[in-house]
Amino acid sequence: MYRTFPYIVLFVVVALLQVFLLNNLTISVYLNPLVYIAFIILLPIETPPVVVLFCALLTGVTMDWTMGVPGLNTLATLPAAMLRRPILASIAGKETLREGGVPSVERLGRNVFPRYVIAMVLIQHFLFFAFESLSWAHILHTFLRLVASSAVTIAFVWLLARFFLSKFTMRK
Amino acid sequence: MVLFIVFEAVAIGYYAQSSNYTQAKLLTGSNRVVGGVQGALNDVRGYFRLGRENRRLVDRITELEEELAVYRQMDADSARKELLRAPGVKPYRMTVARVISNSINKEHNLIVLDRGERDGVSTGMGVLSSDGVMVGYVVACSDRHAVAVSILNTSFRASGKLAGDDYFGSIYWTGGDRYHVNMKELSKYASIGEGREVVSTGFSQYFPEGVLIGYVESYSLSDTQMAYDVEIRLAVDVSQLTDVILVDISDQDDIRRLENEAARQNR
Repeated sequence: MYRTFPYIVLFVVVALLQVFLLNNLTISVYLNPLVYIAFIILLPIETPPVVVLFCALLTGVTMDWTMGVPGLNTLATLPAAMLRRPILASIAGKETLREGGVPSVERLGRNVFPRYVIAMVLIQHFLFFAFESLSWAHILHTFLRLVASSAVTIAFVWLLARFFLSKFTMRK
Repeated sequence: MVLFIVFEAVAIGYYAQSSNYTQAKLLTGSNRVVGGVQGALNDVRGYFRLGRENRRLVDRITELEEELAVYRQMDADSARKELLRAPGVKPYRMTVARVISNSINKEHNLIVLDRGERDGVSTGMGVLSSDGVMVGYVVACSDRHAVAVSILNTSFRASGKLAGDDYFGSIYWTGGDRYHVNMKELSKYASIGEGREVVSTGFSQYFPEGVLIGYVESYSLSDTQMAYDVEIRLAVDVSQLTDVILVDISDQDDIRRLENEAARQNR
């Protein structure tokens, strides 16, 4: 049984990071990383899909409220949460799903974990930027935003995963 | 699966019905909670940018802008000369505000300000940078905060013209670059040239006439060959805003509306 407290801390950390740092990035119009997806990515592998879905709903609604974009974060995060299990099953195998554990390099391996993170981040970012734009007119801008923001988010998720696992001693 | 479809459908429906107004309302709500921390973080930033000195200068600029507005008005509209000479009457009401948060990395960027209804801020006020350049307009207010649509918002619309010219076009942002906006439908008879100043027209419900927007960087005739598509280099870096001037031209709008009504009745 995993402790709930570390995940509450993780939720608060990614929310604060998103609201007070990344939402105010003024480096480039193409850089809008959505690191709160780390909370969904790092949930234990064996978490029931319905719990993952409710976690995604909570995260999405919180971010919508703080960013002032009604529904956008939620509609992008829910499908990523829904597809988490099939993605893990196809990349890591059904055996891994049965064994459970916290997704990490140590648990899934150097090949599988990055692929899992990239898939989850791309699904969520694609939906976010596609719905934000809702137009083919600026498809190049949208694509650049997707690539730049996803790259930064993946780097953040990687760092958060290392921090999360080093600070909280849990079964890996 | 059913739960997912329900949640997703509600989220999409909510997003589809949202507008700049609902986004701004949501942001004013969340700023009741996070606005204090955002403000504190901005204070730190303000310190490093010599914010206090800047604010003093902004106050001075506001006074000068108000004075200038009086002269502009007197010059432009002789019919109102007597009215404007009356003591205490100014064509525009202006106030200053500090920027609490200001995004540039979204398609619908908004600016959150530290002044709200209790400070006399109301929806529809134009937002200018500290040196009087157009940056947005207020769309929602709470007691202590206001949210403005940034000029770097794909929903932002204003009318602009070349300084000293009468032809006008529509100003909009494509979402691709924080230093440029575009102007479409500028008549091909306009005397355009690179480096020409682009300013606001007198048709706006948010901005007084003559507010600087930027400078013509490039232009080309549109597909119909009847109008210019113009790329404008903004006169201000929106990402660096710390203090802004809020301008209320609603009195002027009232006067204009009454004049139109009077003209209609005399016909």
